Amino acid sequence: MRPLDEAEMTQVLEKLHKFVGSNLKHVLERPSHEGPDGKGGYVFRLHKQRCYYVSDALVRRATNVGREKLFGLGTCLGKFTKSGKFRLTVTCLDLIAAHAKHKIWLKPSAEMSFLYGNHVLKSGLGRITDNTAQYQGVVIFSMSDVPLGFGVAAKSTQDCRKLDPNDIVALHQADLGEYLRMEDEL
Amino acid sequence: MATAMDVETPMDAGGEYELDLGNLLVARARDPVRLSNGTAMTEEERDAEYVESGRELVQELVDRLFNMPSTVDKAGRLVKLPKPSLQLPREKPLPKARPMTKWESFAQTKGIKKRKRSKLEFDEGQEEWRRRHGYKRVNDDNDIPWIEAKSGDEPGEDPFAKLKESKKERVAKQEKNQLENLKRAAKQGGKGALPSTLQLAATSLAITGSKQSSQRVSKTDLGDAAGLASTATASIGKFDKKLPGEKPAKKLGKHRKFLPVVDGEGKEKELITNVMRKVLAENDFSGLDVNKAVRAHNVEESGKPSSKKIGGKKRADGAFKKGGSRKGMSPGGKPGRSPGKAAGRSEKKSSFGGKPGGKAGGKDRKGSKR
Repeated sequence: MRPLDEAEMTQVLEKLHKFVGSNLKHVLERPSHEGPDGKGGYVFRLHKQRCYYVSDALVRRATNVGREKLFGLGTCLGKFTKSGKFRLTVTCLDLIAAHAKHKIWLKPSAEMSFLYGNHVLKSGLGRITDNTAQYQGVVIFSMSDVPLGFGVAAKSTQDCRKLDPNDIVALHQADLGEYLRMEDEL
Repeated sequence: MATAMDVETPMDAGGEYELDLGNLLVARARDPVRLSNGTAMTEEERDAEYVESGRELVQELVDRLFNMPSTVDKAGRLVKLPKPSLQLPREKPLPKARPMTKWESFAQTKGIKKRKRSKLEFDEGQEEWRRRHGYKRVNDDNDIPWIEAKSGDEPGEDPFAKLKESKKERVAKQEKNQLENLKRAAKQGGKGALPSTLQLAATSLAITGSKQSSQRVSKTDLGDAAGLASTATASIGKFDKKLPGEKPAKKLGKHRKFLPVVDGEGKEKELITNVMRKVLAENDFSGLDVNKAVRAHNVEESGKPSSKKIGGKKRADGAFKKGGSRKGMSPGGKPGRSPGKAAGRSEKKSSFGGKPGGKAGGKDRKGSKR
C-alpha cells in the first residue's frame, strides 16, 4: 500500500474526470467524518496494482495489516494494467454514479441485456442527458434510477436521434453483472 | 532587412512600410525621433509613437489577412498565405562536400566523365533484354550450363569453381577499396567526413586485448563502477563486509521515492489538488458553447445561411468598411476604431453565418472564431 505518484494520479483523475466532469472536485474534497476529530478526507492508495479510494482514518488502521495479508481497503476504483494504463472497475460505480455528469437511462426490456455485458442499443435507450458528446463517459441507470454500470457514449445526443433501433448508443465498459461473472477477479 | 526587391512597400498615413504576407512580416524602416515641425521628441513621446506605429502596422497586416480568400476548416477559417517575398538567411552552414574517392580524383585528373548507362541490356545467349545488374542479369555466371574446354586448361580443374573464385576476388577487392577510401576520408576530414552509419563505429571503444588504446577512463568513473558493482547483491550491498578503509560509494543508482503511507497529509493533499487543477483546466470548455459552434459549423458546411442573416451581415460590413477607411485617414487611428468595433459587436450573432471568402471586417471574424 502506497500513495500514488504524480503520473499515476494524473491517469486516475483523468479517467474519473471522463465520468464526473467538474464534479471531480466534490469527489476529491469529500469529507469522510471519520478519525479522531471527525475532519478526515479521502485519499488514493495503490495496493497490488489496484487503486483504492479510502478515508484517511481507514488508511491509518490499515497500516496495522501486513502487505501480504492486506486484501483490499476502501473502495477499489480500478486497476493499473501491466502496460501501465488505468482502467475503472465496476466497484467504483457507486462513487461515479453519485457524481455523474452524463447519464443514460435504460428501458426495463434492455436492462438484462446490458447486465450480461452487451452494449446499449438505440432500442433500449430510455433517456439520455442533453449535450452528451461522442466518446463521453456515461453512467448507465435503470428507469428507477438504479446505477447498472458505465460506459462510453458511441454517439452524441444529437446523433442518437437519427440512429436505427439496432445501432449502438453506448459502449459497455462495466456492469453490475461482473460481480457474478468476474467474482474472483474483482 | 529588405534583401529581395519585390517586397511590397505600400504607403499609409505614417509613411512607407514593408509588407510580406508570406512571412507575416510588416515593418517600417523609419526612426520617429523628430516631429514634423522639426523639434526633438521626448522619451515618452517616442515610446508612444513606437507603440502606436506598431499597432497600426499590425492592424494593417491583420486587415490584409482577413481580406484574403479563405476556406472553411474544422478549426475556423483557413487562409493560404502567398509565397514569402523576403528571403531569410539559412540557419545552418552549408554541408561540406564529401571527400573524393581515389577513382573520382583519378577520373577528374584524366577528365573521365561518368555516363549514364541503360538499365537493360540485350543478352545474346538468351536472346532477350535483361537487367545489367542483379537478379536475372545479363551474362550471369550462374546461368551458364556448360563451359567449353580450351586447349590451355589444366586437367582436373573445375572451371565453375574458378569462376566463383574470381567473383569472390573482385568483391573482396572492391571492399578493400571502399575501406581505403573511408580511411582516407576520415584522415582528411575527421569523423564528420564519414557516412553517418559509420560514425558510431569509428568512435566505438577498443576491443579488449587489442593494442589500440580506447578513451582514458577517469578515476571517478572507476569508483562509480566499483560502487555500483558492490551493491549488486541480493541485499543491495546492505550486509556486505566492508574492506578496511573502503568509503561508501558516491554514485548510487536511482531509487523511486513515494510519499509516506500515512503522515504525508499536507503533501498528498497538495499533489491531489495540483493534479486536479491540471486535469480540470485541460478539459475546461466552459468558454465554448458547443451547440452554437456545431450549428455554425453546419451552416458553413452547407453554405446556406438564412436570408435574414445575410442582410444583417451586409449592414455590418458597410459599417466596418466605413470605420476602417476613417481609421486609415485619422492620424491616431483611435477615433476610427470605435465604429468598426461597434459593428463587430452588433453583428456577433450572425457572424457565424458568413460565406467563405466573404469580406467581413477583421475584428468581427476574429470574434467569431473564438
